[in-house]
Amino acid sequence: MAKKISRRKFIVRGGLGTVGVLAIGTYVFRNPLRRAMLGMAESLVPPYSGTGTEPNLWFEITKENKVRVHSPKVEMGQGTFTSIAQMVADEFEVRMDQVEVVGAATETGIIDGMSTGGSLSVAQLWQPLREMAATMREMLKIEAAKKLNTDLSNLTMKEGVISGNGQSLHLSEVIKDVTKWEVPDTPDLKPLKDYKYIGKPISRVDLDAKVYGDPIFGMDAAMPEMLHAVIVRPEHVGAVFKSANIGDTEKKSGVVKVVQKDNWIGIVANSYPEALAAKFELRVDWDIPKKWTEEEIREIITVGNGNEMMVQKEGSALSDDDNEVVVLEFKSPIGAHAQIEPNGAVAHVADGKATVILSTQVVGVTQKQVAEALGFELENVNIIPTYLGGGFGRRLNTSHAVEAALLSQEVGKPVKYFFTRKEEFQHDMFRPPTHHIMKGKLGGNGLLEGVEHHFASGNVAIGSVIMPDMIHGVLNADIGAIRGGSIQYRKVPNFRAVQWHNPLPFATSWWRSLGLLANTFAIESFIDEMAIKAKKNPVQFRLDQIEDDEAGQRLKAVIKKAADMSSYSDQLANGRAMGFAASTDAGAPCAHVAEVSVENNEIKIHKVTCVLDCGIAVNPDQVKAQCEGSIIMGISASLHEKMTLKDGQLYPTIYGPYNMALMKHAPREIEVHLIQGADVPLPVGEPPLGPIGAAVANAIKRLTNKRLTELPLRLS
Amino acid sequence: MNRKVLYSLAFVFLVAGILFASHFDANPSSYVLIKPEEPISNINKENFDKMMSVLMHQRCVNCHPNDNIPKQGDDRHPHYFGMSRGASNHGYEATKCATCHQDENNNYSGVPGAPEWSLAPEKMKWEGLTSVEIAESMLDPERNGGRNHEEVMHHLTEHELVLWAWDPGVDANGVPREKPPVALDEYIKVVKEWFEDGAVIPSE
Amino acid sequence: MIISFTVNNQPQKVEIEDPNTPLLWVVRDILDLKGTKFGCGKAACGACTLLVDGQAIRSCSYAVKFAEGKQVTTIEGLGTPENPHPVQQAWIEEVVPQCGYCQPGFMMATAALLNENPKPTDEDIDQNIINICRCGTYYRMRKAIHRAAELTGDTNDSTPKL
Repeated sequence: MAKKISRRKFIVRGGLGTVGVLAIGTYVFRNPLRRAMLGMAESLVPPYSGTGTEPNLWFEITKENKVRVHSPKVEMGQGTFTSIAQMVADEFEVRMDQVEVVGAATETGIIDGMSTGGSLSVAQLWQPLREMAATMREMLKIEAAKKLNTDLSNLTMKEGVISGNGQSLHLSEVIKDVTKWEVPDTPDLKPLKDYKYIGKPISRVDLDAKVYGDPIFGMDAAMPEMLHAVIVRPEHVGAVFKSANIGDTEKKSGVVKVVQKDNWIGIVANSYPEALAAKFELRVDWDIPKKWTEEEIREIITVGNGNEMMVQKEGSALSDDDNEVVVLEFKSPIGAHAQIEPNGAVAHVADGKATVILSTQVVGVTQKQVAEALGFELENVNIIPTYLGGGFGRRLNTSHAVEAALLSQEVGKPVKYFFTRKEEFQHDMFRPPTHHIMKGKLGGNGLLEGVEHHFASGNVAIGSVIMPDMIHGVLNADIGAIRGGSIQYRKVPNFRAVQWHNPLPFATSWWRSLGLLANTFAIESFIDEMAIKAKKNPVQFRLDQIEDDEAGQRLKAVIKKAADMSSYSDQLANGRAMGFAASTDAGAPCAHVAEVSVENNEIKIHKVTCVLDCGIAVNPDQVKAQCEGSIIMGISASLHEKMTLKDGQLYPTIYGPYNMALMKHAPREIEVHLIQGADVPLPVGEPPLGPIGAAVANAIKRLTNKRLTELPLRLS
Repeated sequence: MNRKVLYSLAFVFLVAGILFASHFDANPSSYVLIKPEEPISNINKENFDKMMSVLMHQRCVNCHPNDNIPKQGDDRHPHYFGMSRGASNHGYEATKCATCHQDENNNYSGVPGAPEWSLAPEKMKWEGLTSVEIAESMLDPERNGGRNHEEVMHHLTEHELVLWAWDPGVDANGVPREKPPVALDEYIKVVKEWFEDGAVIPSE
Repeated sequence: MIISFTVNNQPQKVEIEDPNTPLLWVVRDILDLKGTKFGCGKAACGACTLLVDGQAIRSCSYAVKFAEGKQVTTIEGLGTPENPHPVQQAWIEEVVPQCGYCQPGFMMATAALLNENPKPTDEDIDQNIINICRCGTYYRMRKAIHRAAELTGDTNDSTPKL
């Protein structure tokens, strides 16, 4: 049964500089509620919840006979655009090179209700995007049948050409003069085995742009007559603006205007170096009510402080008086995102309208922030997302778009503003520090009788602009900080996980994998310690205590495969030890084996074997790239990185002192194996970050007999 | 310090100087023999101390490391990113000192610079040495690149890379780097006087 | 002050008030070549690496006046899709980039390394390639550097001998 949709619901795009290009929208969900429930139940993937229940512009047919997809998800390196192109190409019956993916500007109406984050892009778009592409394909065929004077069943479609009745039409010819589109019921999707692109290691669609240096990033954006701004922010945590020599700064060469807002000063100049040079001369007096220390921050983030939430509870608690209970304490530091492209924005505010171009993971939220700050209606604010020079969660709040917009409003011209590296490090929305107390007791069978994870963290999800506060009221826990905090050894008769939460005096937020890295470090280090105490092989020790339900079987499968592939042994060989760890995040179990040696008191990671059950891998090569990247970023966070406070300021403020993994720290061998344990794509960008810290620490224990309990791992 | 102590110091010094010279088989004319009856003046010792307070300052010693790793900052931490001496004291083959350090300080980046930015040669390892050991190293043609006293003096008072210490620019935060504890004019004066006085190294 | 130099084989004359302006901003904002990236402005991350007379330079810390009379090469001048530099070819074969932001700097540093050392060992790579990649593409990058060395060798072999 087909229903007619009137022409007014389609958008004709004349502004692209191409004549006769029609942009066609289609619908998204037949039954969002059902999908929401299934999504949660089947894969722990919340459904795509952006706009799209109204016909919107998702696809355009260009006159070059290409399909342009406006993606509500942004590309920050995770390969989503490539997977989108694969999904569209397969259902649309076009070649990969006939699909172009662009980040949807808010003016298209395609706005993700939440964000590009949580490793959810492909998982969320898997069903609706293929359905839309298939529907569009059928819509085009219906029109082609009319133009070719033949029956729909006589048509064939291949590589963007529809043929029938001895004639052929390119897609761009099919759409010509169509005023009313017939929308068929959602066609059946192709069986997986028939896909030409999905499931194949297709090269990235953005590869050429990134290898030849195309200007695709927010930092590369420009507008005519654009001015350049720098912003001065407090260096001390909690400092408040008092006064500044603004008049002197305004006289500096090239400076157009100096603007003081609530707690920041913007310097707008003709060029960036001029704005920066003027900033060197600006003297600001700040009121510094308190100089925070690392010890004070540590004290706030301590198990027993703040809001308590029982995340998991099975059986009874371990007694504090039981001297057979093993207790170990773990810590992780404040972490910086340190993405290489600084945050920034190019904004133009004029005639009651605002346009902002930037790298952001929250296109819709940024639109709301800018509209609110300027007092504009939402439809008068257009946010244009670019490629991101790294996201990692940092760009889940890009409120600096507001600052660029306010400065543009002040000077009446487009303004480009971006953070200095020091601002990035001092005004990051950090990964909060954590504190963990692990307790465990072995039973007579050499297995755990009880195990407990008590953990404390600052805000991750709480206070975030993408999460309604009410969620945390309902759950009474920070749903970001709990990631990976649960006990996955559910055969143990008594286990529990208890979260303690406290806010910090500086912003903390989402950092790739959220609580997973630190929580897994604590739990999997402790499990290893208990396996040693039980004199058991740590792989078998784990397998013996995992439930036999579906989640447990999938976890066991990755553990067994990782042990097999790496020929895991708990004995040293050639001065190297293997460390084992596993975690389950967002329904995607992952196991790592790290082969480690200690040379000149330095930890050297030679090889990491990684097995991930990612469900359907739309692009197995890019899933592997995400595993490799997660492992290396996880090594960087676990062995090198640490923010602290120095004289009341967040410190360090530059790469180098903020120590990160370099080429020489990356394992020379990374072997990744993917298991398809689910019939949908699962999140892949974060789960493989979980086990790496623990895997390395477990290897070090076997090498040195030292149990390292604090990140970053240091031997002395 | 009384006169008697000074005399005995001078004697010890003479002996040390002879041993030193004979041991290294240096050109004897580059050493000024001090007769035991001639006291080392307080001036000489003061000059020496002032000169050494400069040469032992981090602005100098950071590039005279006792390993192959340049040091940075007032806390003398190892150069970040694993930079090292390389084959010719100028860093690695493609990523060298000059990849970041130019002929002048850069106030935008806070990266210091001066002509020939590089590590002192391996024989001129000063880090961790006492003032006397550094002075000995400095005067020893085996270790100072075959320079005689006059040449050493010129190097110490005229070489741009040495004089950079008094124009060290700002760090990455825009904060001026600490200069050596003696002003440049005075440093040049005391170095010259010390050499004119015979470049006598006190015993401690 | 007028500064004359060559960028990607094109002669350029730039009039600039402050001759200490970092070359990076001249290349990006005056010459509109955005492939050279700003990452930290402190010569710490390497995203702004380009070649001056064939040598790797971190352009955020290089006063434009020093470029007078010199040959500057940016990622845009390294190669093109039609005629990729071996480093770019290798990067494509190994599908190195993720977010891609740091990649031009790494490719330029690699090109400089291969200029000096056509067959770098893993240790040579560890010592010379010290830019920062947050996505963690180092593993593929190492493979690509070795591959680029192979391709460079191939190119040399195919050069007709006189």
